[in-house]
Amino acid sequence: MSYLSANIVIRALPPPSRGWGFPISLLSLLISLSAGWALSSAHAADVPIKDPDSNGELVFNYDINLPGTYTLNRIKRAADGKVLDTDGKARALTDFFGGDKLTLLSFIYSSCADPNGCPYAYAVFHQIKSRLEREQPQLANKLRLVSLSFDPERDTPAMLKLYAGDNVTAAHGVQWDFLTTASLRELIPILDAYRQDVYIDLDPKTGKSVGTMSHVLKVFLIDRDKYVREIYTASYLNPDVAYNDILTLLLEDGARLK
Amino acid sequence: MTKGNDRFSMKALAAAVSATMVLGLGMLPAATHADETCNSPYTPLIKGQEDLVYVWTLGVEGMGDGSDKLVTVDVNPKSKHFGKVIATLSVGDRGEAHHMGFTDDRRYMWAGALDSNKIFIFDIHSNPAKPKLVKTITDFAEKTGFVGPHTFYALPGRMLIQALSNTKDHGGRTGLAVYNNEGDLVKTYDMPTGKMSNGVMADGYGYDLGINPQQNVLLTSSFTGWNNYMMDMGKLVKDPEAMKHFGNTMAIWDAKTLQPKKVFEVPGAPLEIRWSLKKGDNWAVTATALTGKLWVIKEDANKEWQAYDVATLKTDSPIALPVDISLSRDGKGLWVNTFLDGVAQYWDFSDPMKPKMTYKKKIASQVNMVSQSFDGKRVYFTTSLLGNWDKKGKDDEQVLKMYNWDGKQLKEAFSIDFYKEKLGRAHHMKFQAINLKQLQPLQAKLDGLDTLDKVALTDRQAK
Repeated sequence: MSYLSANIVIRALPPPSRGWGFPISLLSLLISLSAGWALSSAHAADVPIKDPDSNGELVFNYDINLPGTYTLNRIKRAADGKVLDTDGKARALTDFFGGDKLTLLSFIYSSCADPNGCPYAYAVFHQIKSRLEREQPQLANKLRLVSLSFDPERDTPAMLKLYAGDNVTAAHGVQWDFLTTASLRELIPILDAYRQDVYIDLDPKTGKSVGTMSHVLKVFLIDRDKYVREIYTASYLNPDVAYNDILTLLLEDGARLK
Repeated sequence: MTKGNDRFSMKALAAAVSATMVLGLGMLPAATHADETCNSPYTPLIKGQEDLVYVWTLGVEGMGDGSDKLVTVDVNPKSKHFGKVIATLSVGDRGEAHHMGFTDDRRYMWAGALDSNKIFIFDIHSNPAKPKLVKTITDFAEKTGFVGPHTFYALPGRMLIQALSNTKDHGGRTGLAVYNNEGDLVKTYDMPTGKMSNGVMADGYGYDLGINPQQNVLLTSSFTGWNNYMMDMGKLVKDPEAMKHFGNTMAIWDAKTLQPKKVFEVPGAPLEIRWSLKKGDNWAVTATALTGKLWVIKEDANKEWQAYDVATLKTDSPIALPVDISLSRDGKGLWVNTFLDGVAQYWDFSDPMKPKMTYKKKIASQVNMVSQSFDGKRVYFTTSLLGNWDKKGKDDEQVLKMYNWDGKQLKEAFSIDFYKEKLGRAHHMKFQAINLKQLQPLQAKLDGLDTLDKVALTDRQAK
């Protein structure tokens, strides 16, 4: 069933198809974000978030290790690839790693409707950015967030610039870059290197894309030497853990906490 | 330390962001926090009908090519090759094949050999019906100082390996090794030794491991070193000095930092570890090989982890020798194999502190591993424990058997005689689906498997 590579798998969806298409999704997202994240509980309650056994939501229940009390191993070198920034300029993915910054990388697509996927990663990124700027403002310029689209067809640089909004142009605080690729030819080697699965939803009758995709959320924490130091996945991305991991790496680099 | 329990609020926020996109569709992706009895919580699961069972098989001198091999069996009842071997893949030598584990993306399967210390990485996604050996790690002992790579447990982007022994004296002191998914060693961790703060003497032994991600804890058990597990069992049990060298502890670790937090006295070689997957449960179960008991590890009222002796196994043989166990997805039923009498016992675990045996069935002259499907309706058994510990002569029965379980009794669906097929000793089992789109939790609820596609692929392999 694979027509591009091992990483892109076509699947058929039973009707009705999911997703309302990119423009509506993007509009919805922007409207939600513009509300300042002060979202009513009624909205959340409307969405039946459930785990596979319909037993409700996972709740983490453990004490989080304090920053600097543990080490994060070098897992592997962060892979490179050819990407486009929101101005359409060709860049190397590793241009967005290293230097004097840590990087938090995730794969997204702007019309994603999966609450366990892109919107959750977006919310986690936003929380980490806000918290670092609020609690450790002197370190805010030591972290870079990178959201890389796996939908190059629709997530053009212009579209991503719209999706990113003020995040990408902020003069201060945590830098947040939104990237895409010129085509699947450039994208697939990156997905393979990070072992990020992506599934394209097809109409079972026509065999054509219904405009949505699925993926298992993965987030990568990359150090200043461009090594992956932690990988967060699916249901177990705890923003407090990721925040302390960031501080742990910053402490390793000699940073001082407030 | 701060409490990491604000997941719900973040989730609600994310949900609200996407609310207008999904409302009314009634179809949401699934998170992964359960398994087909024992897989890592970081591995996607097969919630429906498994298509294949891989059996990591010990080579036997003079039988076939004599090599350890990965045997692929078609187990989909709709296939005309149901219950048949459709592929074998020899690894070229005989090194005491033992256990296997999936990577976190379920595209690759790592398999270990306890004597040669080799680790074989199989590609099981390009063509699941015909696995391909893509890498062999040959310097595990040299690089880690450990011997006997036993348990393979997926972490995001990595493989956590529990070893059984060490290169210095081949005794039971050992450790954990973390590799990245590419097969490069990341870090090693020694098992705890010496007197712990609770007064327990940590023996440094290892066997199995399991993670409860919601509690951020890793649990480990303890067995014995190369000197013992490679010794003939008849000789071993008559050697009082050798019999002193078995693990008597379990340890709970911080799963994030891989630092031990507490060691429990669990006498008699606690082996397989199974966490209850039922939401809200915070307990794991194990069986002790030498003392024939079931133990539960759980938090007490003060949120302190404790180990409890909850049951003693009874068998017709003088020694129970419990080996593999398999816990149902709801945590209410436990299969326990007792090796010497070849019997599978079913225990009602509705109250884990007071479990009761409710059913038993003779599987073969000996029985070791048990694996159940996610829904618990299909149960598979194999028979080899260790090359030098299996029974001799006609009692050395080597089979893979599959049963249907209706909650009351096991009904045999197929049996494969691994000696008759000239394959070897049947040991560890892992499931796989031919259509990989079934493997992702995001798709678990979306569509049924395309049976025609599966059968067609299986047919091609058979030819």
